[in-house]
Amino acid sequence: MSTLQYLLDGFAVAFQWHNLLFAFFGVLIGTAVGVLPGIGPMSGVALLIPVTATLTNGLEPSAAATSAIILLAGVYYGAMYGGSTTSILLNTPGESSSVVTALDGYQLAKQGKAGSALSIAAIGSFAAGIFSLIGLTLLAQPLSNVALSFGPADYFSLMLLGLCAVSGLAGKSLTKALIMTVLGLFLGTIGIDVVSGVARFTFDLPILYSGIEFLTVAVGLFALGEVFKTILENDSTDAPIAKIGRILPSKQELKQSAGPIARGSLLGFFIGVLPGAGATLASFFSYITEKKLSKHPEKFGQGAIEGVAAPESANNAASGGAMIPLLTLGIPGSGTTAILLGAFIMYNIQPGPLLFSDHPDVAWGVIASMFIGNVMLLILNLPLVKVFAKIISVPVKYLLPIIVAISFFGVYAVSFSTFDLFLLLGCGVLGYLFAKHDYPVAPLVLSLVLGPMIENNMRRALTISNGDFTVFLTEPLSLIFLIIAALWMLIPVILKKRGKKVIVNEEG
Amino acid sequence: MSKTFDRYASVILFIVGIGIIMESMKISESAYGSNVGPNIFPMGLGIILVLLCIRLFYETFRYPSGEQTKQALDVKRFLLILGAAVLYAWLLETVGYVITTFLFLLFAFQVMQRGEWWKSVLIAAVFSYGIYYLFVEVMDGTLPGFPVWFQ
Repeated sequence: MSTLQYLLDGFAVAFQWHNLLFAFFGVLIGTAVGVLPGIGPMSGVALLIPVTATLTNGLEPSAAATSAIILLAGVYYGAMYGGSTTSILLNTPGESSSVVTALDGYQLAKQGKAGSALSIAAIGSFAAGIFSLIGLTLLAQPLSNVALSFGPADYFSLMLLGLCAVSGLAGKSLTKALIMTVLGLFLGTIGIDVVSGVARFTFDLPILYSGIEFLTVAVGLFALGEVFKTILENDSTDAPIAKIGRILPSKQELKQSAGPIARGSLLGFFIGVLPGAGATLASFFSYITEKKLSKHPEKFGQGAIEGVAAPESANNAASGGAMIPLLTLGIPGSGTTAILLGAFIMYNIQPGPLLFSDHPDVAWGVIASMFIGNVMLLILNLPLVKVFAKIISVPVKYLLPIIVAISFFGVYAVSFSTFDLFLLLGCGVLGYLFAKHDYPVAPLVLSLVLGPMIENNMRRALTISNGDFTVFLTEPLSLIFLIIAALWMLIPVILKKRGKKVIVNEEG
Repeated sequence: MSKTFDRYASVILFIVGIGIIMESMKISESAYGSNVGPNIFPMGLGIILVLLCIRLFYETFRYPSGEQTKQALDVKRFLLILGAAVLYAWLLETVGYVITTFLFLLFAFQVMQRGEWWKSVLIAAVFSYGIYYLFVEVMDGTLPGFPVWFQ
């Protein structure tokens, strides 16, 4: 069957009425998550996993997984749309990927052009979303065919590359990022070893036999960590919200933003495909590029519509691009895709090259639903942007306790144990402390999800080679991945030594 | 960057790393049909963690000794909410979801900002019973219900 045929089958799945509902609620909640400053896409997706698990209770496993992932992915790319709203209206980015949007967006809002800035952001996001989906559709099958030929050693090195990429770009200190990665890998080894059946690091506590639930750790580190930070540092914003005014952009504004949207989509997509470099870097780079290309670079920062169009397109394209390594290789390149991977695994479906041959309905159903979701988002965001802007004024004093209550509910509904609730609170406190002292938490969650897979592939490779560790260097593909991984870590260090400023990726 | 925090963290994690190495020595060294046992991976992690902690400890001596900007932290409010959350987790299974959630939310709302009792009570009640009703009655999920003495 051709790709087009698969995609049409995917649309048949995505157009089932319940999947349309799932996509709708996903993007709706995603937009709200993007607008609310307290919750990012990562904690939003993590909090919704238990809810989707119950919603899909009656369906057969693969259909349940499709519906659940449709909703969760909707939250992910929906948040990219919503993030711009607060950046433009309040000068407070709802998402780290919308930080640069605030530079020009808020200036535009001050000049009374908030409406056109918001609509350009929505149009740019839509164009970029569709562009990256077409890229995903075209690349998915060939990439997964290539990945089918990977052996265990290749996989091990590829996953190592993914981890190195994420920790190399996360935070200010490479040492701290690596410490967090190793801690995550260690947490992944707790419990019964699936290969040998030996209990590891359980200290004879039955509760630890099944291992540490990644959902608990992710929600604790991200959602609760953020809540505790806001409570402790009291940094609630009471800035006035700018008036939105006329929503539709003028012809001239559309013309001005066409180029930036196209370039932002392209750049964002390719940055998104790279592991470790996510939406934040994409929006940052595209902003710089537009400023360099512009005939009037002095206008940037003073309210240039290009300064909204480019980064908003780029962060959406990046979120689409980030789905490629997740779906085709089974390797998440960012925190949020790591949580999506965890959701797949909860449904006993392993993303990766076999996904497209074993569960084409899941893979293509999700891809097709993303097309539909983007159309829904455009409709939601253009006329209804005024409604969403109201969400900003939800008082923090109600929001924070409710986030705590939702995370309790989410964790308990999946694990049914109070142990996980205490673990959740512990992770929340640690998440605050870690983030405050520049210990990036995204690598920890990513390595917690990838850890068991890395270990399995390592042991399979070593079993085949009779315990000879050089197998990772003699397999050509594996060697290439390892070299890239080493370069990824070393180049930023060398650049820093030479006094260059290195951009870090602080995002989920 | 806080020098003290990083030093404490490096020492604590160093001990954790040593612990991981010691514990993984107790894990069986072989698995059936393979000479690569379940101990190798955690052992390697422990060694890397120990090395990284030494590196972090060394780095703390090279931090620029700049002025620390002290931030006023609202510790009291945080501890009250954290304490309430611990109680919430502790009592969830015995007292049931609706009552504990309601009390936790009410308390936390009031800690965040005193006053507006009616609004707090209303939001806490709607949230706690709303979630319970949706999850248990509509979606057939499981949550600890009401305690025996309440029914």
